[in-house]
Amino acid sequence: MTGSAASPPAVALDHVSLWYGAERALQDVSLTVESGQVMAVIGPSGCGKSTLLRVVNRLVERTPGVRVAGRVAVGGEDVLGREVSLEALRRRVGMVFQQPNPFPFSIYDNVAYGLRIRGERDPARLRARVQAALREAGLWDEVRGKLARPARALSGGQQQRLCIARALAVEPEVLLMDEPTAALDPLSTARIEELMDRLRGRYTVLLVTHNLQQAARVSDQTALLYRGGLVEAGPTPELFTAPKAARTEQYLTGRLEG
Amino acid sequence: MAREQFHTELLRLQQEILRMGALVEEQMARAVQSLTDQNLELAEQVVADDDRVDDLEMDIERRCLTLLALQQPLAGDLRTVSTALKIITDLERMADHAVDIAKVTRHIGAEPLVKPLVDIPRMATLAAHMVRSALNAYVARDIDMAHAMIRMDDEVDQLYRVIFDDLVDIMRRDAQSSFQSTHLLFVANYLERIADHATNLGEWVVYMVTGERKGPD
Repeated sequence: MTGSAASPPAVALDHVSLWYGAERALQDVSLTVESGQVMAVIGPSGCGKSTLLRVVNRLVERTPGVRVAGRVAVGGEDVLGREVSLEALRRRVGMVFQQPNPFPFSIYDNVAYGLRIRGERDPARLRARVQAALREAGLWDEVRGKLARPARALSGGQQQRLCIARALAVEPEVLLMDEPTAALDPLSTARIEELMDRLRGRYTVLLVTHNLQQAARVSDQTALLYRGGLVEAGPTPELFTAPKAARTEQYLTGRLEG
Repeated sequence: MAREQFHTELLRLQQEILRMGALVEEQMARAVQSLTDQNLELAEQVVADDDRVDDLEMDIERRCLTLLALQQPLAGDLRTVSTALKIITDLERMADHAVDIAKVTRHIGAEPLVKPLVDIPRMATLAAHMVRSALNAYVARDIDMAHAMIRMDDEVDQLYRVIFDDLVDIMRRDAQSSFQSTHLLFVANYLERIADHATNLGEWVVYMVTGERKGPD
């Protein structure tokens, strides 16, 4: 991650199509996300939003019968090739899901998990990195002195921030967030949104959300998918006030059928 | 509130704006008539009726804010609501200028006019025409109509210059007339301002329809 002007986009999809068996879930999607930006991916249910996220970290491969065409690059490097190690890719691309999914360990061990997989054994370095990740995720002040407690004793909103800390601990380039606040109350949602805002610049975030206001509040860029195809992508302020495509207009004003 | 009801609510908003626009036009016409006819009673009515305009503005503003808070409209819907908020501000200013004109009627009172008023009523008719065209363009979401009415502002400006020269000339020749001439000059200036606000209406219609906001020239 060099900040030079010539650096490749953090994420680039180039004519990506994806089939689940005979069903085409993504249709020739080309999209780039610049480093340090938050891009929201919106669209009706079943439009391919989550599939798009899962193609970036190759989580789709776990689905039987899936086939992908086109090119996906993270930081300029192709990630779809068989020779690319999934472990290396997932270290560069973290993910947070709709339901907070802490491991049945302590708070500390959750955040340290990825670091240990990566081979970090030095206790002082582990501690420092766990603390830094918890701070970045805005959870430190609530859990300091309680790191040995089970992660599942935390509230839903705290669990989600813990999962974000767990993802951030290994310092990924890209963070994929799939409806990260859909299961949270408004206050916890607001904290996660503030967190996304703080992550801007340091991480590249791809956020799938059904909450249009959330997309409007936190993202720099927004992409609208419809029936697997990209309708429009552009700066969020423009897309939400004066979209170019008629279909975006219809979707944002509640006139588009899924 | 369901989405369908929201769209019905947007149509109602539009109707309320038309109502306000009609009232403002009426205020302008009556103000200028009070001046040409030196009808003090009519002038007082214009001043009194300004409250009706203010009430309508506040009512529409409340509707807009409620829609923004509860519906959080986006894209074209967002532009429709925000345009409504801007339009009523311009309409309210126009109504204030109508009151200003009625107050000139009051100042001049029964004193004979320094000249028969021809260009001022003409200017008022043009400005009123601009307002009506802007509101028609708003309802029809017709940007050609909006652009056509925006161009009419040049005519108003020309008339303003004619009236200005005329009144300065009168003052030069007859210093006694300067109190009234100055007030009539104010009237021309108010009408010029009204036409500028009407121009804003046209520009807001263009924004509402296209999403493009024209900057200052």
